[in-house]
Parts: sequence; C-alpha cells; structure tokens
Amino acid sequence: MGVIETEGLTKRYGSVSAVEDLDLTVEEGEVFGFLGPNGAGKSTTIDVLLDFVRPTAGTAEVLGYDAQESPTAIHQRVGILPEGYGLYDRLSGRKHVEFMIDSKDATDDPDRILELVGLESADADRAVGGYSKGMAQRLVLGMALVGDPDLLILDEPSTGLDPNGAREVRRIVRELADGGTTVFFSSHVLGQVEAVCDRVGIMQNGRLVAEDSIEGLRDAVGTGSSIELVVDSVPERIESVDIEGVSEIVVTDTTIRATCLDPGAKVAVLDRVRSEGATVRDLTTRESSLEDLFASYTVDGTKETEDEGVTA
Amino acid sequence: MSWTTVARKDFADAARSRMLWAIVGLFALLMGVAALVPELIDVGGPTTGYGFAADLAETLVPVTALVAAYLAVAGERESGSIKVLLGAPHSRADVTLGKLVGRAAVVVVGVFAGFLVAGIVALVVYGELAAAEFVSVALLTAALGLAFVGIAVGISAATATRSRAMALAVGVFFVFALLWDLLPLALTYLRTGSLAALGESVPAWQVLIEQLNPSRAFRQLVDAALGAEADALAGGGGGGGGGNPFETQVSGETPFYLRDWFMVVILGAWAVVPVVLGHLRFRDADL
Repeated sequence: MGVIETEGLTKRYGSVSAVEDLDLTVEEGEVFGFLGPNGAGKSTTIDVLLDFVRPTAGTAEVLGYDAQESPTAIHQRVGILPEGYGLYDRLSGRKHVEFMIDSKDATDDPDRILELVGLESADADRAVGGYSKGMAQRLVLGMALVGDPDLLILDEPSTGLDPNGAREVRRIVRELADGGTTVFFSSHVLGQVEAVCDRVGIMQNGRLVAEDSIEGLRDAVGTGSSIELVVDSVPERIESVDIEGVSEIVVTDTTIRATCLDPGAKVAVLDRVRSEGATVRDLTTRESSLEDLFASYTVDGTKETEDEGVTA
Repeated sequence: MSWTTVARKDFADAARSRMLWAIVGLFALLMGVAALVPELIDVGGPTTGYGFAADLAETLVPVTALVAAYLAVAGERESGSIKVLLGAPHSRADVTLGKLVGRAAVVVVGVFAGFLVAGIVALVVYGELAAAEFVSVALLTAALGLAFVGIAVGISAATATRSRAMALAVGVFFVFALLWDLLPLALTYLRTGSLAALGESVPAWQVLIEQLNPSRAFRQLVDAALGAEADALAGGGGGGGGGNPFETQVSGETPFYLRDWFMVVILGAWAVVPVVLGHLRFRDADL
C-alpha cells in the first residue's frame, strides 16, 4: 500500500487534457521526485491529491484515504507547499505559522519552526505583504512542517530561492526523509531532485513517461560521463580508435570529445591522445547529468504527442 | 470545530484592514450626526434620532456589508491563499461557515460601534437614551448587516475572481437600493395592464415581493420598533404601527407573511440561503 496511489487518474479541462490515465505509486519513507517541464501536469496531479481540483476519471489515494472523500483527514497528516499559493498580506509570518498550528491542533513551537526554515525573528513579526518570494517560500515550507507530517507534498519548492536557499530546502527534505517522512516533490529542474530523491517519475504532456530510481533511469538511457580535450592538432583517425569503456569519440575543430560508459576510461582517453603526439591545452570532464536524461525523455515525448496539441 | 479557527483568523485579518476601519469610522460619524438631527431641526428626541440613523443605515449597512464580505472567498481564490487555507485540515464547508461568521462579526462590531456613538450623542444632547428603541434599532441594523453579509459571502463563494465578485456585489446593491423601488410599478402594470391602478389596494403577494428586499423588511421592523411618531418625522414608507402596517394598502386581513415577525424570517433567509447556494458552487469548484 503506497502513501500516494493514483489509478487511471485523468483530468481534462474541456477538451484539453492536463493529466491522462496516471498510475502512480509512492512508497512509505521514500523521497519521490516528480519531474517534468512546466505544463506537464505535475501541479494538476498534486492539486487532485490535495482535493483542490476534482478528477475527470480515476482515483487518487493519499495515506490510505480517498483524496476527494476525506481531504481533511489527509491534510491533517500532510504538509503542503502548493504551487501558486498566496498569503495573508496583513498578517505576520508568525501568525501564519500559529494559524497552521491551531488548524492542525499541533503543539509545535512557532519559533522553532521559523528557525528551522531560516526566517529571522524580526522578519517573522512583520506582515508578509513585504516578504520577498524567497521569504514567503521559507514561510510556507515552515507551515508545511507543522504537526510533524507523515507526508510532505512540495510543489516546486525551490521557486524563488537563491542557490543557498535551494540547498537548504534539500537539506530539510533529506533530514525529514531520514526521520521517516515520505516526501513527494515536483520540479522542472533536475538538479534539485537528483541529490535527494530515491525515485523519480517524469511527466510529459499529462502522462508518466518514466518511473524509476535515478540509477535505473541512467542505466536505461545509457549515458555515462564525458571528457573534452582541446588539443593543438588532432591525431589522425582518433575517432576510430578503440579504447575500453569509451562508447564514442567526436572531433570538432581542435576539440576531442569522448563519451565514457566507465568513468575510469577518461584517463585512458587522455593517455591515448597524448601518446598519439598531441599536446593537450585544456581539459574538461563532465558526469552525465540527469539533465541529459530528462531531455532524452521529454524531447522524445514532445515528438510523440505533438499532433494531439496537448497542453496543461 | 474547525470553522472557528477559520473565523478567528478571518476576523483577525479583516481587523487589520485600514479601509475597513475607515468605513466603520465614517459610519459611526454618520450615526452620530443622525442622532443629532432632531436637536438641530428642533423636532423630536432620541427616538426620532434613531429613526434618522436607521434611514441612513438602510443604505450604508448594505454597502458596508457587501464591501466587507464580497472578497471573503473569491479574494482568496484569486490570490491563491485559499490553497494555504484549504491545505490546512479545513473542509470547504468549514471555510464557507468560518468566513460567514468572521465577516458577520466584523460587520456587527462596526454596526454596534456606530450605534454606540449615536447612543452617546443621544445621552449628551437629550439627556436620555430611550433604551428600548436604541437597543431595538441597533439589533435590527445588525440583522440587516447579517443579511447582506450572507448575500456577499454567497456571491464570494460562487465566484472565482475578484472582478466577478465585485460585479455581482455592485449589481445586488443597485437592484436592492434602486431597482426595487420600480417593482410596485412593474408588478401593478403586469397585473392590471396599466399604471392607473396605482394607489389602489394591491394583493398581499405583491406587497410580499416588495418586502423581500432586506432593506424593506428592515424598514418595516424599524417602523414597528420606533412607533408611528418617529416614522412620520423620519419619512418612512410604511403605514400605521402595530402588527398591520398595510391596512391602507392591502385589502382584507393582513396575511402572516406581511406581519413583522415574518420580516425577521426574510432577513434570516437572506443571511443563510445565498451562502448555501454559493457554497454548493464552491464545494464542487476546481480551485
């Protein structure tokens, strides 16, 4: 029994399909990254899980409750950072946290929550109308932590945060996950997800096009790491040499680029190029990021479904 | 009792609105001036003053209540704070009820603040409060406020955006404040095919339709509370006092639905029915 479970979940707005036949399972205790470009149907899915939006077909269950029948039971045990939220401009940050504590009948200390998300005391006492996007994001994240939820649902939590803030969000997510909290979070930026997620699902045009662990996805796509060498003169027929662990060598002008299945093969490439008599002027290496992976799914997905004119 | 948390937060939020306090201040000022009018024109006492105050309130309270409540739900849907509110363990029914109670409390506090000023003016100027009349008119005005808060929260629950809620709220105000006065003409014309019959006695049901306007129901109740004397001076529309204000207008015995107590039912219905209808839309809406 998953913490989040959808079956055949479909949401259409008129003839436009936002989510189509989605079967998704998030297991207890895992950090699940919900990926996809903007408009892929991530937020619509989350809105259905939270009963902000009613599905056209299919079912959604959260913590064993039907999302449409028992939303308050779900919200009691779930911490939420929704997409496109607003705040009560005239109330202070602390009042917001206190409101959530009252609403959930929780016993949290507002100051501890505010400290956890890095909102300073002076800021917490100001009306939130004057908050920056980053401060608002911290506040809502703090509100989501109230009542020690069993599940955190974070929709694009890094929006509006500087790299430091984004890193802190990842740290908080990791800490909570280590404490046993299930975390479901969406992002259109892979780097946010890569470091913290146990498993990812990739959405494209309302459909789940991939669902696996990050290693699993990597294996499936077969990208590895690469090394790029800028040389004074390219040795002849270097493209066709056979080096163990290297899948491909491409030459453009004075740059040699080798794609390696095995990271250790990079040194072999360097040695081989030098032994062929070339002088290496510059060198860059790159671990294949999930970005490539992501692109390989979503670009293909676009091609497949282009004709349907599906947007969300 | 989740709705109480919503109501408390809503009241706290509204209480920080400077505009709302400005409106309450203006209302209190006008109530004070109304209570002073009999002294200025040298006719009547505090009761007459409350009559003038009620006349003013008949227009001011609907505006104030509509302004105070038309964004209750729609404003949160437009700003997205509804996702924070409903993200907490509150049902949509908790939100609708909490909003109704929160905004009602704001309007009732405002009305009582206004009448407090009117009462103080009366005590100072006339040396007497006329407590029974004072309390009655203050309570009736609060009830009028509740009726319009009900209408406004109903509108707000039924609409997704600020601009639509505003359009409907303005529409409601004009219908009740202006258009309704044309209703007797229209009904008489539809009934008899001419306007010549105007001034003759009319069927009771036609009067009922006219009295369905919360402001008219309020008027009838105020007239009953203050008696004929204040009414005549303040230029009210009803007939004699007592249980039958329509003796001269309606042929035969006055049916129950034109009696004073039924006016309370009408005000109560306005406070409740629009909210229920609006909630049904809100309940099924995608946010």
